[in-house]
Amino acid sequence: MLEYFNFRVIYEYLPLFLTGLKYTFIISLVSLGLALIVGIIASACRISGLKLLAYPVIAYIEVIRSTPLLVQIYFLYFGLPTLGIMVPEIQTGIIALMLNSGAYIAEIIRAGINSVDQGQIEAGLSSGLNYIQRMRFIILPQALGVTVPPLLGQAIVLVKDTALLSLISVMDLTRSGQTMTSERFMPAEAFLTVTFFYMCIYFCLKALADWSQRKLIFREVY
Amino acid sequence: MKQRKLVSIVLALVLTVLFSGVSFASTLEKIVERGELRVAVQSGAPPYAFIDKQGNPAGSMVDFTQGMADAMGVKLKILSYDWDGLIPALLSGKADILAADMTPTLKRALKVTFTDPWIYVQPCIFTTTNASFQTLEDVNKPSVTVGVLLGSTGESIAKKYLPNAKIKSYKGGGRMIVQALEAGHVDAGVNDDLAVLTVLPDYPPNSIRLLEKRLGPSKDPLAFAVQPESVNLWQWVNLYFKTIRANGTYDKNISYWMEGIEWKKDH
Repeated sequence: MLEYFNFRVIYEYLPLFLTGLKYTFIISLVSLGLALIVGIIASACRISGLKLLAYPVIAYIEVIRSTPLLVQIYFLYFGLPTLGIMVPEIQTGIIALMLNSGAYIAEIIRAGINSVDQGQIEAGLSSGLNYIQRMRFIILPQALGVTVPPLLGQAIVLVKDTALLSLISVMDLTRSGQTMTSERFMPAEAFLTVTFFYMCIYFCLKALADWSQRKLIFREVY
Repeated sequence: MKQRKLVSIVLALVLTVLFSGVSFASTLEKIVERGELRVAVQSGAPPYAFIDKQGNPAGSMVDFTQGMADAMGVKLKILSYDWDGLIPALLSGKADILAADMTPTLKRALKVTFTDPWIYVQPCIFTTTNASFQTLEDVNKPSVTVGVLLGSTGESIAKKYLPNAKIKSYKGGGRMIVQALEAGHVDAGVNDDLAVLTVLPDYPPNSIRLLEKRLGPSKDPLAFAVQPESVNLWQWVNLYFKTIRANGTYDKNISYWMEGIEWKKDH
């Protein structure tokens, strides 16, 4: 099958693919970092028990989880400027991915914390530990073990979601494939290369996941 | 054992005959046999092809290809793609005819076979009314962003005549450029004049103006395209256009879709 592929064209367009890879990588990294911050803050608000903090966060999470990411991107890109807020496309993309992933991450962290057995918290209480100490020594170490695998799953989803940004003219990996297709009409070659690069990112993340799971979880919990 | 061998040989022979038979049938024969003419159009590109208020495909292309399907005695199936997906859709055999507002450039013609041009249009450059641009030179600056459709003639024209400006390419039909212009993501847009003039009435009056009606010296032909091996279909489409030009159907289509926006009432 491979003899039908025109590898010369892939080589010719390599700089374009590398530009795409660079943008996909940077956008993923930045929005993942911000999404983690948003997620941690949102979950902290939600489990704090203060209605004033919890209700807006619940509303935010439900809005995000009930709408497609593409709609959120289009709303931010085309909708906000008519309301007078002007953000360029890469920043729009980062904000959209941050808000979207942040909601899911908040739920993952909340689920992790809730999974810690009530008896352990009571044991901490009876030992005279305060809220911070209970969190630091009992709840968080155990929650982390439950949280890290789905968090990395969410990170991988976020990387793949960056492909949607090609629709608002961000020069990401997917857009580099689309550009080559539109210029040379070779979708097989273009998207094979794009697939290859996405898999590279995926396996990097997976290696990171395995490493962090060994380092973080087993030392803290066991 | 011997019987099984015999059966497999017979089966292989039958399959060979079947498949070779299929590959020898012409595209036109295949369409008639299938009972369906599959046409790739650009989604969201009025007046050429778009989804109307009732949710049905409509536009000049849809009417032309409906006429073709009627003449063939088959059903019409409209497949709508973004601009950059059109040629791949045709080449991969998902569609029999590519009926978009496509210019038969020599580069594209390396991949697909174009029919004779059926209309001529011209790329134009447009901007918002309150923008300060007066001439093409005002736009041709590094600080200016120009919106085009990914893979369109407008894109190559913009790169050629506005080499200093920043080009942003969008997917999803000409309306996306106007939308990006309205939202302020681009300062000007380049697309063919018919596509621009058709969407203007949907926006507040006097919010968008044409900066230069004719970008580039030559008129752009638009043509349908077929797969390179579909020689008979290619000739059939050419003959179809000659026929409808003679009997007035062509003029009716053009004056309804291209020479006014009266059709907006019905669609």
